[in-house]
Amino acid sequence: MSPMNNPQDLNPSSLKSRFTTRFLRALTKINGQKPISSSSPREMFQRYRRIKVAADKSMAWSVRSRRTWSRAMLWKLRSRYSCRQASSSRRSSVRTSTIIKSRQAKTSHEKENKNTTTGQDEVGFVVQADKLRKLVPGGEAMDLCNLLGETAHYIKCLTTQVQVMRKIAHFYSL
Amino acid sequence: MEKDMVFMHEGLDRTAAEQPTWSSSSLGMEMQTNELNCAIEQVGSCFFNLNWDNSMDQSDRFKSALSSMVSSPAASNAGSALPASGDNVMIRELIGRLGNICNSGDISPQSFIKPNNNTHSSNTSYYTTPLNSPPKLSLSMMDSQIRGSLNVPGLGNQLPNHPSLAPFSTDPGFAERAARFSCFSSSRNRLGLTEAEFSQRLVPTMDSVKLSSHQSIKVTGSQANAPESNNNSQQERNFGFDKKISMLTRSSSPENAEFGDSKEESSVSEQIPGGALGNSSIKSQSHANARKRKSIPRGKAKETPSTAAAEAKVAAQNDESTAKRGKQDGAAANAKEKTEQNGNSKAANDGNQKPSNENSKPSEPPKDYIHVRARRGQATDSHSLAERVRREKISERMKFLQDLVPGCNKVIGKAVMLDEIINYVQSLQRQVEFLSMKLSSVNPRMDINMEALLSKDIFQSLGSLPHALSSMDSSTPAFPFRYQPQQGLPLNSGISNNIETQFSMNPLNAALHKTHGLQLPPIDGFTDASPQVASIWEDDLQSIVQMGFGQNQTQSYQGSKAVGQVKIEL
Repeated sequence: MSPMNNPQDLNPSSLKSRFTTRFLRALTKINGQKPISSSSPREMFQRYRRIKVAADKSMAWSVRSRRTWSRAMLWKLRSRYSCRQASSSRRSSVRTSTIIKSRQAKTSHEKENKNTTTGQDEVGFVVQADKLRKLVPGGEAMDLCNLLGETAHYIKCLTTQVQVMRKIAHFYSL
Repeated sequence: MEKDMVFMHEGLDRTAAEQPTWSSSSLGMEMQTNELNCAIEQVGSCFFNLNWDNSMDQSDRFKSALSSMVSSPAASNAGSALPASGDNVMIRELIGRLGNICNSGDISPQSFIKPNNNTHSSNTSYYTTPLNSPPKLSLSMMDSQIRGSLNVPGLGNQLPNHPSLAPFSTDPGFAERAARFSCFSSSRNRLGLTEAEFSQRLVPTMDSVKLSSHQSIKVTGSQANAPESNNNSQQERNFGFDKKISMLTRSSSPENAEFGDSKEESSVSEQIPGGALGNSSIKSQSHANARKRKSIPRGKAKETPSTAAAEAKVAAQNDESTAKRGKQDGAAANAKEKTEQNGNSKAANDGNQKPSNENSKPSEPPKDYIHVRARRGQATDSHSLAERVRREKISERMKFLQDLVPGCNKVIGKAVMLDEIINYVQSLQRQVEFLSMKLSSVNPRMDINMEALLSKDIFQSLGSLPHALSSMDSSTPAFPFRYQPQQGLPLNSGISNNIETQFSMNPLNAALHKTHGLQLPPIDGFTDASPQVASIWEDDLQSIVQMGFGQNQTQSYQGSKAVGQVKIEL
């Protein structure tokens, strides 16, 4: 993560710049909400969660829907957000969480089906493929071939994300 | 012929959809699709811009369209993205016109109409040269024919010696034309054109066009059987492509059968141009192929030149793909197969193919299905073919991942590599979490200017930043800002305790090892405790982990306690 490749960064439509602008916007919004000095540990934690979500969301938005993983991530974030919004009380949150779980169960069923079909082909890598599926958002419903492709793009985006966040943290800390 | 082929009917749309994304990812992401779109756009424009006679204009049209299409991906990275539907439409038109050309059988090469777009820097010359002299192509054909023991009247003088062929090979239009006509000749029987006719008719001008080294080599290699091709992969491509052509021209002549050493004996005139083009195609720019495949009516012949031309362009640009392909395996077929595959399925032609020398199995020009050709000595049923294609796709992607993940080069074997990949992804995700944690702790108590400054500074060298920030820092804001970390860090350490206990220790350590690049400058101007905290927080991630694991999770977040923890670590 060395000095940036300026020409690439300056490209306004590159992934990096898209992510950066979006993430900075989200950061300012989050920071504007509560001054840090007054936060309790719990708030700190909440803040951390919010920032993490913002980072993931901005990255997924930068990729739009071009990738399965970005779509899956956006969907997950949205559903989680809507669930949180919908649940004013604990009960409703429980309900919504069960809804989410059922959805996840569905996808896991899909995944199992997929696994049975793909497992025949790639006998050796089912275990690792499963692990990878858990890591990559939306990986549950993909066959190994697409999964690898999505993983490649996901890795690329993650490295970009880390780079940008590191730089931001660096600037903030100065 | 079709019956002989085993078609793998994978959902073509899906494949086509995949390919662009995959290719794009492999080639640098979105660029590729843009390039392709550019190419296609240019093709379309070529289509509509050229004046056409019936007879030869079609061929020229095709050639120019192809050349432009081929050249544009090479050149234009900034390509305007054409909507995919538009691309397909244009491609279909192209294909349709090719079909007309095939059907008409009335091919009279004439002046080649320049393609509109020669953006490809290195290859611009080639596509601009109009092909005016028919005899040249026939010459090259002759050479190959002569080699291949075909008797073609006329140009015996010019043998496929490299120097003599150089002009041919350097003619991109020639290559395209040759490919096209080779297709025609292969399906030639329908057209009723003899090879002799072809040789006479196909005459690209040998003007100054300079082919890329790849193409020239391919052409010469295929024709002249000369070991001019620099890359084995190119030769392999030659083989593959020749095989492809041979499949098409199976019935046309016995010489077509000798594919095995297509380089040596591309006896069939058609093969030469096909070979030349086929080689270049390597790069599975599946977009073009996939799209063309979709739209092509069942004319294999048409497809060959189109794919060949498109492929040629693509291949010409990319040495990497060449290298990758060359790596595939020794067998030409494998490399060929892989490169051209894009989901090209190979027909199980072993039985029907020209027998003998097929060492390599080029992928067939696509139709509506994904064509796979069975390799020699391998099972030819559709399942194994599909299996093989799938395996190759997967191995291709694994190779790409290997490049992406650092430290994967030494590893050989999919399982271990997958483990490495998994670890890498995990570490990246943890880094993101860690950084977001850090960001949440660092006080963004900055002015609005800082935001703008930040976004600008992100893209600037680090050197300028301290200046900017110091200028921003007036005494008062700086003071609380500086003190923030002091308050924040203990909290952070507490939080880090929480967070890091979520992970198992070892992977986290591994992740931390991998985050060695995280360089956080020490914070200046702190009191005694904070520098320690800051230094530990920022300089030594492992100490944080140790802190987290050395203590109970939910430590009190009092500053003193945290500092005490820090001191313990110190």
